[in-house]
Amino acid sequence: MARLVSRWHNAAAMHWTDAIVESLKSHDVWLIPYVPDAIGWQVLSKLEQDPAFHTVPVAREEEAIAVAAGAYAAGKRAAVFVQSSGFGNTINSLAQLAVSHKIPVPVFVGMRGGLGEFNPVQIPSAHPIPGFLDAMNIQHFAPINETDVTSYVDGALELSFASRMPVAVLLYSQLVGAKRATS
Amino acid sequence: MLRPDGIRALLERVTDEPIIANLGSATFDLYHAQQRDANFYTWGAMGMVSSIGLGVALAAPEKKVYVIDGDGSLLMNLGSLSTIARQNPKNLVHIVMDNQQWAETGGQPTHTSTGTDLAEIARGSGIARVVRVSSLEDFEDALDSAIREEGPWCIVADIEEQGHGARPPVSVEENLLRLRRTFTG
Repeated sequence: MARLVSRWHNAAAMHWTDAIVESLKSHDVWLIPYVPDAIGWQVLSKLEQDPAFHTVPVAREEEAIAVAAGAYAAGKRAAVFVQSSGFGNTINSLAQLAVSHKIPVPVFVGMRGGLGEFNPVQIPSAHPIPGFLDAMNIQHFAPINETDVTSYVDGALELSFASRMPVAVLLYSQLVGAKRATS
Repeated sequence: MLRPDGIRALLERVTDEPIIANLGSATFDLYHAQQRDANFYTWGAMGMVSSIGLGVALAAPEKKVYVIDGDGSLLMNLGSLSTIARQNPKNLVHIVMDNQQWAETGGQPTHTSTGTDLAEIARGSGIARVVRVSSLEDFEDALDSAIREEGPWCIVADIEEQGHGARPPVSVEENLLRLRRTFTG
């Protein structure tokens, strides 16, 4: 009988950003196309300093998915970072490249529009994202506690590369903190 | 200059280098000119071929990577030129077949028909090597330079539109995996 083993049961709680960096490394992710945002930058600023990664700032979110798809076509692994406000811009390449061609693109989404949001226009772009992902048959995971980040991200990356499907990791304010309005 | 002639000129100059073809006519003409595992035929994700090519070029810096784009498609993703310029991949050759129309949807004129110059936009975006050609001979000269010299290159070719071959029977998933196997073995 097969034994089910939790590989993450005893994982020590790292800061959520370090947990993401370590998971990306352990899955040989190399290319990181991104559009910066205040949430994702907490991870991206570390990836930019780490020689294990090549970061690619892009002008628009759909480019990021396509650059990641190109890297996979050439035998390398990529993961994408975007903010919820620009997630809608990924749909062209997410649907007509990643899903249709079965290209594994893990997408980390800095989620605005939830607890603690001060900007009302962030809400209608962020709130539909889980439903949209469900409709696209793209699995999505949202670690809320820091102790869950390694298991969620490691598991999401493994799932994406094994299934050759995009997978989304949604980074909500409960985990990453809420951006404060400045005046 | 006609697109199929330009594509044949490119195919005469490559061995196993990847060619990423824009949806519609570029994909159809490339397939009918020569089927090869390193051809990537796109069927959608309009505008994204230069971004896909950038991903391939960054991941495989030892190979020249060719993109066959169209004017209508590139107009959808002009930011890609800036992204390419910033990454500055020496091995990327971005060819834009400019027929001044959205050929797949009935030949409606695009903005290049009313004065938009994609070569100037590429230059202004910071692409290292940009040429604009309108004859097959000049296109071949530009290709030879792009093969010989470091890029990134953007070759904008003014072409006459004379239609394209039949829709090829390609499985998109299999096409991707075949291309990938040219890198991974």
